[in-house]
Amino acid sequence: MDVTLKIRRYNPEVSEDVRWEEHTVSMQPTDKVLDALHKVKWEIDGSLTFRRSCAHGVCGSDAMRINGRNRLACKTLVKDVNPDQPVSIEPIKGLPVLKDLVVDMEPFFDAYRSMLPFLVTTGNEPTRERLQSQQDRDRFDDTTKCILCAACTTSCPVYWTDGQYFGPQAIVGAHRFIFDSRDEGTDQRLEILNDKEGVWRCRTTFNCTEACPRGIEVTKAIQEVKRALIFRR
Amino acid sequence: MTDTSPGSPTSGHGFETHAYDVVVIGAGGAGLRAAVAAHDAGARVAIVCKSLLGKAHTVMAEGGIAAAMGNVYPDDNWQVHFRDTMRGGKMLNNWRMAQLHAQEAPKRVLELEEWGALFDRTTDGLISQRDFGGHRYARLAHVGDRTGLEMIRTLQQRVVELGIDVYMECTVTDLLRDGDQVSGAFAYWRESGRFLVFQTPTVVLATGGIGKSYQVTSNSWEYTGDGHALALRTGASLINMEFVQFHPTGMVWPPSVRGILVTESVCGDGGVLRNSEGKRFMFDNIPEFFRAETADNEEEADRWYDDKRNNRRPPELLPRDEVARAINSEIKAGRGSPHGGVFLDIASRRDAAFIRRRLPSMYHQFKELADVDITAEPMEVGPTCHYVMGGVEVDADTGASTVEGLYAAGEVAGGMHGSNRLGGNSLSDLLVFGRRAGLNAAYYAGRMGSARPAVSDQAVKAAAEHALAPFTDEGGENPYTIQKDLQDLMQRLVGIIRKKEELEESLTELQSLNRRAENLTVEGHRQYNPGWHLALDLPNMLRVSECIARAALVREESRGGHTRDDFPKPSEEWGTLNLVLTESGGEISIKEQPLPVMPGELRQLFEEK
Repeated sequence: MDVTLKIRRYNPEVSEDVRWEEHTVSMQPTDKVLDALHKVKWEIDGSLTFRRSCAHGVCGSDAMRINGRNRLACKTLVKDVNPDQPVSIEPIKGLPVLKDLVVDMEPFFDAYRSMLPFLVTTGNEPTRERLQSQQDRDRFDDTTKCILCAACTTSCPVYWTDGQYFGPQAIVGAHRFIFDSRDEGTDQRLEILNDKEGVWRCRTTFNCTEACPRGIEVTKAIQEVKRALIFRR
Repeated sequence: MTDTSPGSPTSGHGFETHAYDVVVIGAGGAGLRAAVAAHDAGARVAIVCKSLLGKAHTVMAEGGIAAAMGNVYPDDNWQVHFRDTMRGGKMLNNWRMAQLHAQEAPKRVLELEEWGALFDRTTDGLISQRDFGGHRYARLAHVGDRTGLEMIRTLQQRVVELGIDVYMECTVTDLLRDGDQVSGAFAYWRESGRFLVFQTPTVVLATGGIGKSYQVTSNSWEYTGDGHALALRTGASLINMEFVQFHPTGMVWPPSVRGILVTESVCGDGGVLRNSEGKRFMFDNIPEFFRAETADNEEEADRWYDDKRNNRRPPELLPRDEVARAINSEIKAGRGSPHGGVFLDIASRRDAAFIRRRLPSMYHQFKELADVDITAEPMEVGPTCHYVMGGVEVDADTGASTVEGLYAAGEVAGGMHGSNRLGGNSLSDLLVFGRRAGLNAAYYAGRMGSARPAVSDQAVKAAAEHALAPFTDEGGENPYTIQKDLQDLMQRLVGIIRKKEELEESLTELQSLNRRAENLTVEGHRQYNPGWHLALDLPNMLRVSECIARAALVREESRGGHTRDDFPKPSEEWGTLNLVLTESGGEISIKEQPLPVMPGELRQLFEEK
């Protein structure tokens, strides 16, 4: 079948203007949108720029807005994006665009780093593994699935308009440690999240949950962090 | 994470310049572990990686980390793991690497746990361990089927915690030397296309593998053999390049999932392989070498899942090379599936809830990516290029290559896995040897004091000209076309089954591709230009492909990840030899080299029952 991609192009080396470019390629219905982008790049316009790495939905490099929704191009089948109409493809929103579909991820990583994304412990190093029951481990299973693709954060209307808000991913990242029975840094993290630009900025629109390609219940995780803050007092 | 401070010092060449004790190239498991080790040893460390941090190929590993911790089977110990590894590699492994690996893997797993890695647990709260092909005991520490993701995230978190400098989306195109010593690395920012220079007495290569030279591969786009090619160009040697692992069970249909692996845990949890006649053909493909420990009938094999002590393992769990070869011959004999694979069936053997619980990522991946429900229908699978056993020849204890100051760890290093790698041994390899290479690079830099080898402006200018060449040629070829032709050629002529005439043909074709690649043309400018990036990666892919083809032509036997149609049996003589490749004046030369001899007390382990 022929599929038309309507791609938002931007190349500041040539022009500050953004333009939309249409390319029609022949695809199988079960091909991925990433396959279609590759076809454009390899056969039509070698300068088309986007990130991708594993191409199998695990590394989280190729989040983009496809028909207005944040998705991974490698996890989205052509048949599922209404291919009878031109399929619009643009960079994720809320981060500065560098070129075509590539955005500057640094603000996103800044938020990730600010949450102390590592296990905080005190006392001597254990000689064997710390025991953890399967139940305790399951408590935060969902938020360890995160692949740092930024689909959640860049689908959040608060994040689009408020340059200070950490965004959903950072809270997911904090949740992963707050509910880990081995971690002792909960108070520090909750303090950071209690900030006026922290978890209270979330207006529960569920965009993030809908955007997550890993099926993480992002909004629920944010609510759990809010509850932890309330009941801590 | 990225240091782009405008105040960075520059030299006569005028490019952004940074000085470190250790520069690690690659941010997969080996690179991150090496950087942490070097940092802990007091070195100033930089990680330079082509992608964003946390996206490296390690992220895709599913099964687990092999380590004889004995949490599930107390009988397990390093000697058994060592023996399994050597036997899996058909005794061509560097014995010392296999020994260190088996001895140190449990410590490295515990360290990950200490740093916060999530693991599935036993009922006692210990790290759980699962069965995998070629491993005698359940030995793979894991978290569901996303162990690689958790491992990379944990190491990434550690790097953030320690504040190690990371140069993301930055590609190294040349290593710089002062005489015979490493003195630096030349790189470009993918984002801006600007050049930068690292002054460093040590470089740790942790660049992973070469899979992008093949058409059907499980590997990420980064796998263009950069480290292999950089090592060769810098004067180091490669070994075992003829051994390429084809994972037996990559999806072959539908096209959107082609190359995605179906983890061996599927077989560990009850999945079986069948041909178009519905037969479990693996029972007809049990080699003599593994006969004593492999079930020879379906009844015993099926009892094994519940009673592992009193039954032998199903033949589907033989080492990967055996399974891949067997699948290949079924397909060749016309008993394959409709799209050129065989059937992997767990749907008819386990209930849907069990499959979803044990293999959650597999289930979701196939449902979403291909609309295939693995709880309802068998999968179509076939051999898929997955891993290169060959790599930089290194000292087992330190990871040092034959060039002063150049280290290698992980997939880019050779020797550890011999002619065939066991599943689960890669993640542990990354941790054990990543750490060793990082530590020893730091020690080497420390011993050197302030007397550092120099980076010459001339060498930097040459590297810059080399990197800009694709922009100056006009009327040349599109690099994507050449890459496609290379993948087609390697798949066709240097794939899973090889023969003399085809290998010779491959070398002729490679020569013509080399010529075509001398005249590449790139559209556009330097800022984030994927065509340019490929034009710089392509010579690496071509060089590594040539090494594989040359070594494959010389080794006249079949062993592990190297099968010769015209020499179908392993030969005793070749069983004691490595093939060593070096580059000089742009030409590859190849020589035979005896394997290091295993000491008597280790040899004994193979004589005991």
